[in-house]
Amino acid sequence: MNADEARESLAFSEYARKRARDDMGRPWLALVLLASLSVVTLSLTGAAVSPTGLFWVFAGPLGAAAIALYAYRRNRSSGIESSPLAYVAITLGLLILAYAAGKIGFAFQAPAVARFGPAFVAAAGYLALAWIERSWTVAAISLALLAITVAIIGFDLSSQQSKALLFGLYGITLLAVGFSLRVGRKQLL
Amino acid sequence: MTHPSSALDDTIHQRVRLGILTVLSESRRADFGYLQEVLEVTAGNLSQHLAILEDAGHIQIAKAFEDKRPRTWVTVTRKGRAALASEVATMRALLDGLGGGQRS
Repeated sequence: MNADEARESLAFSEYARKRARDDMGRPWLALVLLASLSVVTLSLTGAAVSPTGLFWVFAGPLGAAAIALYAYRRNRSSGIESSPLAYVAITLGLLILAYAAGKIGFAFQAPAVARFGPAFVAAAGYLALAWIERSWTVAAISLALLAITVAIIGFDLSSQQSKALLFGLYGITLLAVGFSLRVGRKQLL
Repeated sequence: MTHPSSALDDTIHQRVRLGILTVLSESRRADFGYLQEVLEVTAGNLSQHLAILEDAGHIQIAKAFEDKRPRTWVTVTRKGRAALASEVATMRALLDGLGGGQRS
């Protein structure tokens, strides 16, 4: 075996690896779902002790079920299967931790924790997703979200201002991510 | 002292078979049609390569009917996964030894 053959074999192996990862589906829908959930989390942080919090009891499992159904159908039609369990686990973990952060913040009368805790939890969730996907893009987004949250804390805005700003920034950033990944998939196909 | 290339596994060294194991090692399982499309081989050619890998214990093949259509699912075994890792490591070592180790 010569160097060219070895190089060519490795290049082909790498091509097959990338193709398989792409075809297993960058979880753009999971991202958008997680995004919407994290945005809703933020919008609810001020009402975490109100009956509105009950929303999560239904929205959480429904979101996870939607991701699982999507992954299952996609796997069946594409001919290559990955396990959706990791995505469902991340979504459920995010929901529980984000909700808990809001609850703890209010219970201990720490408004900053109640307001920004879920944001940090969401960013951590994206970091986990980045690791699963081996995606630098998703990792960069996670860090960007952390930076945005820290910056908002630094500006010392009022509760309403910071909530509105976080809501807007999260929504725009994450919808853009979902859209870009969707476009990326179309180009691949 | 043996040459590093003697560590290469002839069963999986072939380009298509290396591709099959790579795809399968990334996923839970893949079907025949998908492998054929990604690796750009004919059905007959792919069948031959799959048979070789199955005989060597690197993959498992399961045939089933789904929505009244026959479907062949292929899964990599633990042995196949280990063999792939070893093969890739050996090729990289070879390239490093040759001074042309441009890793993709």
